[in-house]
Amino acid sequence: MNDDLTIIVTAGLVATACGLLGPFLVLRRVALMGDAVSHAVLPGIVAVYLLLDTRAPLPVVVGAAAFAVVCVLAIDALRGTGLVASDAAIGLVFPALFAIGVLGIDRYADSVHLDLDSTIYGEIAFVPFRTLDVLGVEVAQAVVVLGAVTLVNLVLVAVFWKPLKATSFDPEFSRTVGISPVLVSRLLLVAVAVTAVAAFEAVGAILVVTLIIVPAATAYLLTDRLWMMVAVAVGVGWLGAVLGYGGALRADASIAGAMGLVCAVCFVVAFLCSPRHGLLARAVRRSRRRRALARAIEESATA
Amino acid sequence: MGGLISLIPLPYPDAVVALGALVLGVTAGVLGAFAVLPRRSLVGDALAHAALPGVCLAFILTGAKDPAALLAGAAVAGLVGAVLIILIERTSRIRPDAAIGVVLSVFFSLGIVLLTAISHSGNAQQAGLERYLFGQAAGLVERDVVVMGLVGAAGLSLVLVLLRPLRAAMFDREFAGSIGLPVRALELATTVLLVAAIVIGLRMVGAILMVAMLVVPAVAARQLTGRLGPLLLVAAGVGALVGVSGALLSARAEAPTGPVVVLVGVLLVVALLLLAPGRGVLWGWARRRRERRRESATALLVDIESLMHAGPPPTLEQVALASARPRPHLRRALRDLDRAGLVAHDGERLRLTESGAAAAHAALERRRLWSAWLEHGWQIGVPGAVEPDPRDLRGSLGDQAADRLERLAREAAA
Repeated sequence: MNDDLTIIVTAGLVATACGLLGPFLVLRRVALMGDAVSHAVLPGIVAVYLLLDTRAPLPVVVGAAAFAVVCVLAIDALRGTGLVASDAAIGLVFPALFAIGVLGIDRYADSVHLDLDSTIYGEIAFVPFRTLDVLGVEVAQAVVVLGAVTLVNLVLVAVFWKPLKATSFDPEFSRTVGISPVLVSRLLLVAVAVTAVAAFEAVGAILVVTLIIVPAATAYLLTDRLWMMVAVAVGVGWLGAVLGYGGALRADASIAGAMGLVCAVCFVVAFLCSPRHGLLARAVRRSRRRRALARAIEESATA
Repeated sequence: MGGLISLIPLPYPDAVVALGALVLGVTAGVLGAFAVLPRRSLVGDALAHAALPGVCLAFILTGAKDPAALLAGAAVAGLVGAVLIILIERTSRIRPDAAIGVVLSVFFSLGIVLLTAISHSGNAQQAGLERYLFGQAAGLVERDVVVMGLVGAAGLSLVLVLLRPLRAAMFDREFAGSIGLPVRALELATTVLLVAAIVIGLRMVGAILMVAMLVVPAVAARQLTGRLGPLLLVAAGVGALVGVSGALLSARAEAPTGPVVVLVGVLLVVALLLLAPGRGVLWGWARRRRERRRESATALLVDIESLMHAGPPPTLEQVALASARPRPHLRRALRDLDRAGLVAHDGERLRLTESGAAAAHAALERRRLWSAWLEHGWQIGVPGAVEPDPRDLRGSLGDQAADRLERLAREAAA
């Protein structure tokens, strides 16, 4: 595989993995879970460094994933008390975990350079340089890892499609038909945590956060069907990957940033022009209603 | 300012930090409520990221790392981001969390694109630009504390003067608009203050602490009161308490201030979530436990009553066989009944006392009324969508409706 293709495929795999989960997060009003995880993994990295004295990728990713799971489950538990809204729960948990990480660095690891950027947050431009030998073919490591993660997410979403759908829209109903909203929500969030950490390592945090939220929000503006929403989210993500890479090459700009901006353009187009939920469609409907009302008033006045 | 600091019995740097934490806590506490209550808690996070393109643009325009210009860029970008969040949320079906997420990721993407553009420009000054706004608890500067104090004072006076309009605009926009309140202006005013507090807070304590300082006081206060006025006061108090105690603790432990303040605040919130009077998780557990015990005792009472009708007073063993309930539950229920003087013992056999019989009849009466409600409730035309309390149906429906229900049940039985 040449380097350009490797980068596009990597970004596309991230887009697929995130696009499969993002719509459920947007529907459950916890779209910012990815961002929360991106900060909350710090204590995991610090703990691995303190316990194992290493900054090698594999143990660091495992440590980060452990705290990512702690983060999402803690948020879910806070939300589950019914005393805190989910956005506030996110805003309580990830600063606390991040603070623990900073304290750990300050106390024990001040002498080494240990921060998120250098240890876990990858840069997508470097993806082609780390390769694995798979059956005699040299493949980028990120493609293998993210391919596996994407496959797991695909299976997960396919197998749990009905429970995910039911609990996203009507937790009470799903409880009465024997689907536990708590369990399904935890499963989804753990999948998000693991996906996010695996993808951070390859392509950096902001691209992951963007690909979870923006394609899903775009899809939410375009369709009322869940499977369609997932499909559109994945499609927008791929569009961002392909066009973003092209744009980044042409403008010699940050690849992750350019991909994010292409997704942003998709969102703006959907926001303005969505046939049912767009700003323009709403304006047209409103003015039509207003005219109909004016006509009705006129008629009743003349009658 | 200098005079004020010298009044605090602490070494000068610690005193500045403590005063800064106090000012930040009060300001973030009051203004944070206007982010948390409309479910925009993470607006601080979004604006921290949104500031990056502002800083980059300011650098591109001025060509130098002039602090005032960079701060202005951050503030303008923050305001644009905040207005966009509200716009997206108001004019589409996107909900606050996704609107915040979209603005956060799009602005940050734009920021890193601008950063690469700047680094290609070869301007040697650009190093560390992205760090400018993300210092983790960067050193507190007195001037920052003063500006933060001014923002806080503006926020507090706005709240004091305009509490009622603000409340109406926040909780019921349609109503507020219909009585002629300038809803948009009010929202803009709180947003401007919020953005100002966030941007200054970013520089003072870093993005993550700012997120927590906006969320902690409002969530803590919400556990203690459900009314906006007291909530804002309590939030200001909690912000001050958390800020100052965190700052003092960190000075004593020689740890960085920001993380310690965050952890103190989050621990306080967790404690309140568990213990808040009448609302906390532990209170809920205790209440449910009490209710289960009462239900269990009432059920035993009714069981004894019906077995007494069928034959001689039953033993606990017979009740257990008849009701198929676990014996430990029954024994505990029996102890409760004993204590209330509702049961008398004839050796092994159990008999209801006079008050016990009355209580059993009342319970049976309640059950009958509940079945009548389930069967005939739709006929009595209760106003509105009343969801009655199953433990006290008569009380929640009123005597008249309850009497009608009983009549309907009797007629149906006849």
